[in-house]
Amino acid sequence: MAGLELNRLRKSYGAVEVIKGVDLSIMDGEFVVFVGPSGCGKSTLLRMIAGLEEITGGELKIGSLVVNEVEPRDRGIAMVFQSYALYPHMTVYDNVGFGLKLARAPKEERDRKIRDAARILQMEHLLDRKPSQLSGGQRQRVAIGRAIVRQPEVFLFDEPLSNLDAALRVDMRMELAKLHQDLGATMIYVTHDQVEAMTLADKIVVLNAGIVQQVGSPIELYQRPANLFVAGFIGSPKMNLLSGSVTAVDGDAVTISGKDMANVQLSADAEAFKVGDMVTLGIRPQRLHLSGSGALVGQVVLVERLGNETNVSVSLPSGANFLAVLDGDHVLQPGQVVTFDFATSDAVVFDVDGIARYAQA
Amino acid sequence: MKKQLPLISGIAAITVSFFVFVIPFLFIIFMAFKDRRQAASRDFSWPEGFHLWENLVEVVTTRNWMMITAFVNSSILTVVSVTLLVVLAAMVGFVLARRDAKWNGPIEFLILAGLMIPPAVVPTIWLLQGLKLFGTLHGMILIEVAYNLPFSIILYRAFIATIPRELDEAAIIDGARPLDVFFRVILPLLWPVTVTNIVVQSVGIFNDFTNPLYYLPGANNATVQLTLYNFQSQFNTAYNLLFTNILLITIPPLLVFLFFNRQIVAGMTAGAVKG
Amino acid sequence: MSVTTADSAGALQTTVRKKPIQARYPGWFILPAAVIYSVLFLAPTVSSLYFSLTRWTLFDSVFIGFENFAQFFREPFLVQGLINTVIYAVVTSGMKVVIGMAFAVLLTSNIVARGYLRSVVFFPVLVSTVGVGITFTVLMHPTQGMINETLALFGIKGPGWLTNPSLALYSVALVDVWKGVGLATVIYIAGLVAIPRDYYEAARIDGATPWQNFWYVTLPLSRPATATVIILSFIGGLRTFDLIWAMTKGGPGFASDTVASVIYKQYQAGFYGLSTAGNVVLFVLIAVLVIPLTMILNRRRGHE
Ligand SMILES: Nc1ncnc2c1ncn2[C@@H]1O[C@H](COP(=O)(O)OP(=O)(O)O)[C@@H](O)[C@H]1O
Ligand SMILES: [Mg+2]
Repeated sequence: MAGLELNRLRKSYGAVEVIKGVDLSIMDGEFVVFVGPSGCGKSTLLRMIAGLEEITGGELKIGSLVVNEVEPRDRGIAMVFQSYALYPHMTVYDNVGFGLKLARAPKEERDRKIRDAARILQMEHLLDRKPSQLSGGQRQRVAIGRAIVRQPEVFLFDEPLSNLDAALRVDMRMELAKLHQDLGATMIYVTHDQVEAMTLADKIVVLNAGIVQQVGSPIELYQRPANLFVAGFIGSPKMNLLSGSVTAVDGDAVTISGKDMANVQLSADAEAFKVGDMVTLGIRPQRLHLSGSGALVGQVVLVERLGNETNVSVSLPSGANFLAVLDGDHVLQPGQVVTFDFATSDAVVFDVDGIARYAQA
Repeated sequence: MKKQLPLISGIAAITVSFFVFVIPFLFIIFMAFKDRRQAASRDFSWPEGFHLWENLVEVVTTRNWMMITAFVNSSILTVVSVTLLVVLAAMVGFVLARRDAKWNGPIEFLILAGLMIPPAVVPTIWLLQGLKLFGTLHGMILIEVAYNLPFSIILYRAFIATIPRELDEAAIIDGARPLDVFFRVILPLLWPVTVTNIVVQSVGIFNDFTNPLYYLPGANNATVQLTLYNFQSQFNTAYNLLFTNILLITIPPLLVFLFFNRQIVAGMTAGAVKG
Repeated sequence: MSVTTADSAGALQTTVRKKPIQARYPGWFILPAAVIYSVLFLAPTVSSLYFSLTRWTLFDSVFIGFENFAQFFREPFLVQGLINTVIYAVVTSGMKVVIGMAFAVLLTSNIVARGYLRSVVFFPVLVSTVGVGITFTVLMHPTQGMINETLALFGIKGPGWLTNPSLALYSVALVDVWKGVGLATVIYIAGLVAIPRDYYEAARIDGATPWQNFWYVTLPLSRPATATVIILSFIGGLRTFDLIWAMTKGGPGFASDTVASVIYKQYQAGFYGLSTAGNVVLFVLIAVLVIPLTMILNRRRGHE
């Protein structure tokens, strides 16, 4: 069993640096998700771990071994590709057993392992088929089966669900979670879908432009995003962001004013601010509620009534748009002027560099 | 009225094509059935009597069964050259399609040059003599491989470029070494284009006259195309035998045509339509 | 190559193996092909540049400068071969383009017996060139050949196809077209079926006649196929040897000699230097004609 250690890992293609020094430690048995927008380097980082991309700088340890220069087959990893990459000319049985064959495993052992994997994935009836005779979900299973028979210490998944339709994706997500529980292996999973990340991960790594933005449990990332990027990326709908400036600093509280709000007092890391600093205020749409008197006043633009909740889009005096997700059903008319309030502890203050400044505990 | 146009033009086309393209082949067949006396008049007439078998026997046994030697030589030449072409060209195509090295450009230039430039005959003979390959079947095989590599490489490279790289990578993670990746994953996937390649190159090499003429002299080394040529003077006036001979060497391409028409057309038109 | 340049440097460098990760697509994969191609094709081609400047017996060579080339352009029969080669290439590729296109249009229409017609046109491509050559030599015999005997039935006195010096080259070219037009046709067919039907439907809505259809849709859109047919058959025409050798051996006299047949004749006569010079001439001829031709055809294509 193996954890991983990434030390200032870097990757360049020619002069273009794609991974810009990633530090990360992954514990044995952890389910880690790399998440970030398309092109941020998730796949590249995963492929560096797999040994499919040469490492330009830094050090990669799997278990206690530095594996920078170790062949993929000797790293104790298995990988599931986005396109599944099944060998089209082999049956499912041979696809799953190919690695064992290459390793010259005895026939009986090979057969047993293939059938074990097939049983775990409930695809015993598919073993004689060719990949072209399988549905998307079935191909996905075969790809996972091929990984399982290798009995790897680390599973690597590169957007494995993105080619499936929505319903199947939810099913497979749950199966993957169960597989992780059953096998107890370390899993590293790449996705650009934050819902997948939130539901699967023990630990999420948010990447942007080749730099790690934040590492933490899903709830940590949701509740205490480290910066504007994470705040915008994690959570759906997106966190509302308003700009303003600091008008007073007092103990653990800062007071912020702007075009859209007047003298809102919040708890934040007061030492990071002085009067006059430009800041951004972040509030999740779900944390807003209607109230007679509140910090935010605006005009309703659009209302979506879903029964159990109501989404309200509001235009603020600065012209900025603002979204609130209200519990229960509310009857609101476009053009109506409404007032929202929120608990000061639910708001996040970001400094001028976009770093979140939480009150020190 | 309009509906009948395809029919009328079709009948016209069939008639014309019969005279232009079919009659020459019927002529060959008729001649092969005639006896020596009737064949001498070289006209398009129905054979009097059935002499194909005796003509065949004579053609095959003449000059100490030279025809058999020639068929064996041509078969070995074709099979071995084409096998080498398949494996070697696919390997080159694989590396060219997968690597974007800076010397891909020059290699492509050399491949195009190979398609265009006629081989320098006498220097090649001189070189073959130096290598003790002149007039040997294996020398001839290497020549056919060298001359036909460019076409095969182009065919393979285009096809390999359509095979996703993730397949190689999956195999690498499964523990495949480069030779495993190539022989167990890529080469089997190339089967459709390999069939095309085999068919097109076999026909070309089997029908090759010029290169054996230069590089494979001598009666023991005769290939079928050369026997045809050698026989022409020998059967000076025996046209029945000459055409039996032609008929005999037309059979292999005919079989290929019957079974692999589609692959041949695909191979020969490859690359013509892109643009 | 694998040495990292991490600014944090040494601390991270626990192991530096000399060998980087095994090449995924190793260069030696091209080695066998490269060796065969270089030794048997490139090396002779390059050395021909030298040997063409020598008087050569295969055992030793005497450098004589451009004498072989001078001879090539001095001797009328050699000059004739040069001219014949160009005529042959132009005539055959021109006819293959026109006839191939016509056949392709016919064979992509809804004509009856399409499969049969395609087969019949294509089959000669696969047949032995020498066999075809010998057959047509017999058919083209001035008095006993089937062609002239047939013409005689209509009261026409057929020409000496292969015996008339001013006709022989064109007769061979005609047989070349007979044998090769099937290839041009299938290339054109592939090009024609790739033209989206929308163009024809749009043209029909505009009220185009069949002739306008051909002129404004088919012809411009099959330009890539035309380029391929021209280049393939032009190069083939310039290099032709086997058909000419099977039919006329360059005769009568030198009337149907081409550079390729001259190369063979000089080789047989033991003039190895001169023969090699012929090779270099052919090589240069192909380069000088085909490279600009390719560029013109591709530029036209780019402007569409
Ligand atoms: N072989 C390559 N050569 C050059 N740039 C590459 C190569 N592969 C990926 N990149 C670049 O690296 C960046 C990260 O790519 P990738 O890791 O695939 O992103 P993603 O997060 O979407 O998986 C992208 O900007 C991509 O353009
Ligand atoms: Mg990716």
